[in-house]
Amino acid sequence: MKILVAVKRVVDANVKIRVKADNSGVELTNAKMAINPFCEIAVEEAIRIKEKGQADEVIVVSIGDKACQEQIRTSLALGADRGIHVEAEDGVQPLAVAKILKALIDKEGIGLVLLGKQSIDSDNNQVAQMLAALGNMPQGTFACAVELTDGKVKVTREIDGGEQTVLLSLPAVISSDLRLNEPRYASLPNIMKAKKKPIDTVTPADLGVNTASGLKIIAVEPPPARSAGVKVADVDELISKLKTEAKVI
Amino acid sequence: MNPVHADILERLSELLGADRVKTDPDSLANYGKDWTRANDPRPTAIVFPGSIDEVQAIVRLANEYACALVPSGGRTGLSGGAVACQGEIVVSFERMNKILDFDPVDRQVICQPGVVTEVLQNFAEEQQLFYPVDFASSGSSQIGGNVATNAGGIKVIRYGLTRDWVVGMKVVTGSGELLDLNHGLIKNATGYDLRHLFIGSEGTLGLIVELTLKLTTPPKDPMVLVLAVDAMESAMDVLRSFQSRLPLTAFEFFSEKALRHVLAEKGLQRPCETVGEFYALIEFENVSEHTLDQAMEAFEYCMEQGWALDGTLSQSSAQARDLWRLREDISETIARFTPYKNDISVRVSRVPAFLREVDAIVSSRYPDFEIIWFGHIGDGNVHLNILKPDALDKAVFFKQCAEVSVEIFECVERFGGSVSAEHGVGLLKKPFLHYSRSAGEIACMKALKQVFDPRGVMNPGKIFD
Ligand SMILES: Cc1cc2nc3c(=O)[nH]c(=O)nc-3n(C[C@H](O)[C@H](O)[C@H](O)COP(=O)(O)OP(=O)(O)OC[C@H]3O[C@@H](n4cnc5c(N)ncnc54)[C@H](O)[C@@H]3O)c2cc1C
Repeated sequence: MKILVAVKRVVDANVKIRVKADNSGVELTNAKMAINPFCEIAVEEAIRIKEKGQADEVIVVSIGDKACQEQIRTSLALGADRGIHVEAEDGVQPLAVAKILKALIDKEGIGLVLLGKQSIDSDNNQVAQMLAALGNMPQGTFACAVELTDGKVKVTREIDGGEQTVLLSLPAVISSDLRLNEPRYASLPNIMKAKKKPIDTVTPADLGVNTASGLKIIAVEPPPARSAGVKVADVDELISKLKTEAKVI
Repeated sequence: MNPVHADILERLSELLGADRVKTDPDSLANYGKDWTRANDPRPTAIVFPGSIDEVQAIVRLANEYACALVPSGGRTGLSGGAVACQGEIVVSFERMNKILDFDPVDRQVICQPGVVTEVLQNFAEEQQLFYPVDFASSGSSQIGGNVATNAGGIKVIRYGLTRDWVVGMKVVTGSGELLDLNHGLIKNATGYDLRHLFIGSEGTLGLIVELTLKLTTPPKDPMVLVLAVDAMESAMDVLRSFQSRLPLTAFEFFSEKALRHVLAEKGLQRPCETVGEFYALIEFENVSEHTLDQAMEAFEYCMEQGWALDGTLSQSSAQARDLWRLREDISETIARFTPYKNDISVRVSRVPAFLREVDAIVSSRYPDFEIIWFGHIGDGNVHLNILKPDALDKAVFFKQCAEVSVEIFECVERFGGSVSAEHGVGLLKKPFLHYSRSAGEIACMKALKQVFDPRGVMNPGKIFD
């Protein structure tokens, strides 16, 4: 079985984001970039499945400009077998991403797709669901445990107030939540080996997908600055402030 | 020093207000100690000045009543410098914790001594600048304490010590005089630079009441490598291999034993599969597209030579931070074993031979104690920690350690090294000062103290008697 994992290049989670002066987006010049943390978890899960002997190949795909090959290399260093770089301008919208992945599933004969539940830059949480619909495949979103048995995959999902377990037939789409696993470090010997692993480059057009989007970002604004804390003299004042000002009790 | 006169407490209350003179047992126990546990705290009172005027008035009262003062910062010191164990009055700078001014042209910040190191680091970051002196205790230590100990830390190899960042300072000397030293000048060739005497003086000459510190450009995309190395000595070969190829911002090392404690306590991941006897943590700036290739080249070379066994490279700043924790959480993790700490240094070139000798001493003299090595080895500085076995009494343990220390310090002396690389002398290293400083030097230090603190009110009994 082949596993397809999609990874997105996003601004590093610890970078303090600044909005561009013209409000057209976030300032990314010189910002540190990294693999989207949820995607990293998906890569780790795919590699663990392969290490258990339940998959033959882990293919990593990233959609974006040339720089996203860095995140493909990282995934290869973690243990993925080969990469596909879908060269496109940044900002490909979820539906187009899902279509590209659908085309790759058909082309490669994929048995299982592992995705992050959302990317920390646009926070859409849409691709896995759209892909499942496009491919008419079962989906296990927000996974915190994944187990392959007898040609099926059991997915434990994080849901409000608890967990839900679903059994999916293959091919299936799974999106990872934070607690699914703790990704490993990339070892230096593996980083060196990853340099020799193949990365194919294709375009959305090669896959028959039009990435033009009907979505236009009008403005990006920083959240309002938090006002400073206040000191209260005693418990009574605290309670009265919680009631009248914060209105939480 | 006389026992504290009851009158002075009353006068201090008049001066500061009763709520800023504390004598309750909790405050005395808390503010009377630093991070060390060898001496039990026993101060008479804790005072909390809010201004330079108040500090001056406190020092004048101390002179009038011949009463000893102990300056107290964040109390993270590792030499007992801020410990008050003989009825002193502790002067806490907790309330003097404001950043007063920042000049973007000078890239200088003026602040009160009680500003917590991390607060200054964050302030610099907000100005898109960098205050580079950093270590595991920066969330609690104060700038005043850092200057008083000339703190070093994890970025010395690139950015130097606290001393290198102090461009101005106001001090109230032991006689109560306010000196305004160097006021932010880069160049100032007008005689003795008294600022440098107060840096590292551990509160024995006067109280630091205001600081002007310079800031710098932040490093570009710092990346972290952790390598498993075959033996302690190889760490220096690894250092040379990386230093000649990359702009290093840190080079630290720690032992597998240290790592094991941190992993167990903090639930972190091992850096790599292969277990080394030691690990090197290397941080470098990712300045160009070739930097990573050079890092890989250095690693391959170290592998070929057999120095490095395995390793990892951070792929995100979250990973970089987690890898740093393997080194930075050591002190905190082993604190519960009441460790006996040695903070020794020699010139970088002499580290391998020095380590070989020290290792031989500790392995033969401490056969039953657990020994934890770590430190800023890129600066020639190692922290040698001896853990107290649970069953052993604290006093007995420290006595045994002090005996072995003599052998270690004789070795330090032979190598022309220092018995305290960055933690200061305070109380704990006082008996060993002569291994690093000649009788002539110590006499000069005592004479200098006379000049600034003629009545001996400033932190008496610290550094020397
Ligand atoms: C986990 C841990 C890791 C550490 N790592 C490092 C490290 O890597 N490098 C390093 O150098 N140190 C390290 N230290 C030691 C310690 O953090 C430093 O020595 C620090 O500079 C002490 O600052 P402080 O504010 O806590 O000072 P305190 O401990 O409160 O005082 C230290 C000395 O300075 C004097 N003093 C304090 N404030 C003033 C003032 N305003 N005027 C005059 N004298 C004053 C005190 O009397 C005392 O002698 C570490 C400590 C811990 C607990």
